[in-house]
Amino acid sequence: MNIISYLIYLPIIFILMIKIGWVFYKNGEVFMYSIFKNDPAIVKNINNMLLIGYYLTNLGYATVTISCWKRIDSIEQLISFLAEVLGKIILTLAIMHYNNIFWLNYLSKRNINI
Amino acid sequence: MENSKIVIGYLIYLPIVILLTIYVSKALFKNGKTFMIDIFKGKEEIALATNKLFEVGFYLLNIGWALLVLKISYRGVMNNQTLIEILSRKVGAFSIYLGVMLFINLFLFFRGRKKSKENTYNKNNPEQINL
Repeated sequence: MNIISYLIYLPIIFILMIKIGWVFYKNGEVFMYSIFKNDPAIVKNINNMLLIGYYLTNLGYATVTISCWKRIDSIEQLISFLAEVLGKIILTLAIMHYNNIFWLNYLSKRNINI
Repeated sequence: MENSKIVIGYLIYLPIVILLTIYVSKALFKNGKTFMIDIFKGKEEIALATNKLFEVGFYLLNIGWALLVLKISYRGVMNNQTLIEILSRKVGAFSIYLGVMLFINLFLFFRGRKKSKENTYNKNNPEQINL
């Protein structure tokens, strides 16, 4: 039973994280320009670095959590446990998402030179 | 088995909740585009980017919460009536939560608009500041 749950969990989490990473990558670029004074090379580099760092931490965390999985005996436990783990990770993603938005906004408003 | 009704409950709750979130999010952020373009004073690129970022955040928050409150812990044998009552409680509570989130987002939109109008006013009337 556990293996089935792994096979459901992993694709969902990976797809979610890759999509959200892309959303920030594409849409955050506009904000980065105002922080880095319209320098396209630097913006691209930093954006790429951030994207890679994002994938590493998030995908790594998602993979590590598989090792702490409860024993699943029935379909009902499968759905409820999957929902609980996915819910926690998605909420953490949401908090980090809003944190990113906050920093993008703060840095562009203050026009701080990094 | 007794817990097959719980599984049915899960399988009814999940689509309802996900469809609700998608519907509310689409409505909110389709109409929010106009607000954003107004707030950023015609800079369409930044307005659309901000809108998209907030939309993704909204989805994440709501789907995460919906998943966390999914668990139905009911001891003993469940009959159809109890199932319907539990489902109605869960779906209802989530709808109320979605409504509250919607209003919070609307409030943020309005506040952003007010701030941007204040900035334009201050820029256009510098003598007002040097009192």
